[in-house]
Amino acid sequence: MAEVKVKQESTVDIENRIKELCQQFPHGITDQVIQNDMPHVEAQQRAMAINRLLSVVSLRIWSRDIRYKSNLPLTEINKILKNLESKKLIKAVKSVAASKKKVYMLYNLQPDRSVTGGAWYSDQDFESEFVEVLNQQCFKFLQSKAEAARDSKQSPMVQRNSSFATSHEVWKYICELGISKVELSMEDIETILNTLIYDGKVEMTIIVAKEGTVGSVDGQMKLYRGVNPIIQPTGLVRTPCGLCPVFDDCHEGGEISPSNCVYMAEWLDF
Amino acid sequence: MTTQEVRLCGLLLQEHYGEVVEKVGTHLLRNGALMLRAIAHETSTPLDLVKKSLCVLIQHGLCGFRSGRRGVEYHLNGERILRVLRYPRYIYTAKTLYGDAGELIVEEVLQRGHMTMSHAVRTVADRLTHNMEEGCSMDYSEVVSAFSRLVETHFLQRCPSIAEPSATPVDAVPPVPVAVPTLAENHPDRYTLPQISLKGRGKRRLSSEENEGDERAGKRARLDEDHSESSGDEGIYWQVNFDRFHQHFRDQAIVSAVAGKMDQTSSEIVRTMLRMSEVTTTPSAAYTQPLSANEIFRALPPSYSISRPVLEQYLSLLVDDPVRLLLLLDCGSDLHKALANLARATLESVVQERFGSRSARIFRLLLRKRHLEQKQVEDFAMIPAKEAKEMLYALLSANLVQLQEIPKTPDHAPSRTFYLYTVNPLPTARMLLQHCYKAVANLIERRLHETKENKRLLEKSQRIEAILASLQASGAEPAQLTEVEEMITAPERQQLEALRHHVNKLDSSENQVDETVFLLESYINSTMNTR
Repeated sequence: MAEVKVKQESTVDIENRIKELCQQFPHGITDQVIQNDMPHVEAQQRAMAINRLLSVVSLRIWSRDIRYKSNLPLTEINKILKNLESKKLIKAVKSVAASKKKVYMLYNLQPDRSVTGGAWYSDQDFESEFVEVLNQQCFKFLQSKAEAARDSKQSPMVQRNSSFATSHEVWKYICELGISKVELSMEDIETILNTLIYDGKVEMTIIVAKEGTVGSVDGQMKLYRGVNPIIQPTGLVRTPCGLCPVFDDCHEGGEISPSNCVYMAEWLDF
Repeated sequence: MTTQEVRLCGLLLQEHYGEVVEKVGTHLLRNGALMLRAIAHETSTPLDLVKKSLCVLIQHGLCGFRSGRRGVEYHLNGERILRVLRYPRYIYTAKTLYGDAGELIVEEVLQRGHMTMSHAVRTVADRLTHNMEEGCSMDYSEVVSAFSRLVETHFLQRCPSIAEPSATPVDAVPPVPVAVPTLAENHPDRYTLPQISLKGRGKRRLSSEENEGDERAGKRARLDEDHSESSGDEGIYWQVNFDRFHQHFRDQAIVSAVAGKMDQTSSEIVRTMLRMSEVTTTPSAAYTQPLSANEIFRALPPSYSISRPVLEQYLSLLVDDPVRLLLLLDCGSDLHKALANLARATLESVVQERFGSRSARIFRLLLRKRHLEQKQVEDFAMIPAKEAKEMLYALLSANLVQLQEIPKTPDHAPSRTFYLYTVNPLPTARMLLQHCYKAVANLIERRLHETKENKRLLEKSQRIEAILASLQASGAEPAQLTEVEEMITAPERQQLEALRHHVNKLDSSENQVDETVFLLESYINSTMNTR
């Protein structure tokens, strides 16, 4: 009889009680205290509730994980979770990686970077315009620095060194511009600068720096510098054939052939 | 030879040497080495025509011969035919380096294949004299000095002469009584000038001779030759050294890349370094000779008066540069790396123009990091997942990017396999090279098509020009001239103008694609040689 009665009691209350007790005694509570407070609850259920609360990874947990860990039936779990949500104790956060998965965490905590995607995501949407704007700003900054260095007409070594900018300088410049509402860290700026490297507009070197100099990470600093491309667009792409979408279908005497090529006709009259 | 190459060779042969040569040539390209009778039989051309076309091909160095099992076999050198596309570039280079005399010398030698020095000098002097004002004529000695400079810098070389026939076993079959002449491979005096006595000046051709066709002028030239004394260099024929020109183009590409990346002074330094090691480096070397800073300092042109420490700074900058053209070790300049960088930039520019700058970002990312998963590509390139996926698939279907599967389980289940995207520069370069050949062939065909369509108009305009010229020569009134000119109506004139514009544009774009062909070919050759 007692067991049936115990089962009917919502596990929610147990958890809530435990949490209240924790808050009452910020130094921590022993199992004894909990037992004293809720004598009608069985030890097993208590243990389960405590375990569940403690075993969340990075303070968030997936509903399926809750089910595995506590062996409670699915309907009960859903009821409990809805209850907790309405009481504003936990909240559901959509993960960026799989948008169907709901992940629960305590209400007052901020979601982790890997769930929301960091500074580039706002509400699970990748902000490509924001990234583009940052891209262009960084590039303009580096380019103006390189031009200033070139115009200074000093000896070439000095010229090259003054056209370099450390990642810390770029970070400061972007922060001062104030175009970003989200706080950006130096790693974020470095990922933006990496995309500029992959665009072929910027090159990077690493130098050894003393620990303690501004912006150094693990005894080294990354320097970035705007560069010019090494060749002009190559000859093949200046002809229509280089860019033709039906290049493979074109041969003499066919439907598509050089003699009746529309692209060539347009290009010749240009 | 691939289909595209054969097609391009056929078009070039037809344009420069005629249809018969083209038929024989393409047949040889497709079927390898063949005997004379086999060629005649399979192409169903008369034997003497086949002989003549083979003569033309051999004269220009396009065809070789060797003694096969049953007789003499002829084979065609496909790569050499593709060089015909590059003739304008060779002539232009000679002009920039050695002036008009050099330009005309190279042009004459390219047109005739092999020439003796005296013959070349005389023809060039005559041509130059013709273009000068009345009363002046070009002295032979100037042309001779231009010729000798070309030989000293190895742009012209002697043709290999016939080697001493080694004792060949007597064949059972009588039709080969004489040993097939073999050409001497290593030529010790390839670049030595013969001692010739050539004194005189260029002769001006009278304008009246021009209108009477070529036969009389030809006869007169032949008579002149017979009458002048023999110049003492019979049998010594000269040809253009293509490898040397290619080396020069490669140096030019490297210098302009350095100029684009850094500044003018660095490019001058690199040019000086490359020029100093010009004659000592073989064409296929991966590294140039090592040079000391002192030598470079002394060899710099006087217009760039920079001091010694500044030079050292520039050199250290060139060494540190990530594009890595110089290795200041005992190795000199790393030419193979430089060519690889240029080829990589070509590939990147093709992707950029064809697919857009974001796909170019993905392409460069894959070139740097070699193998990446889909998710990593999105993260590094900062492109939204959907767009990144589309771009990667577009690049994959154009075969610019390859997919590498790494299975976790023996049964290759798709959910348990890693799929990595990667770029292989060498096969991609080969594929682009074939594209280039096809593009050039397309351009040539379009040009031929345009001229064929407007043939009637062209003939009419040529007739009218001839009439005009004859009227002018015989002193007609202006009224008659304008009457003749009005025979071409205004829209026809416009059409002619448009046609000229089209043909010029197609011609120049052929040269531009040829530049890409050169870069890719050099890269592929140097990679194959260093393997």
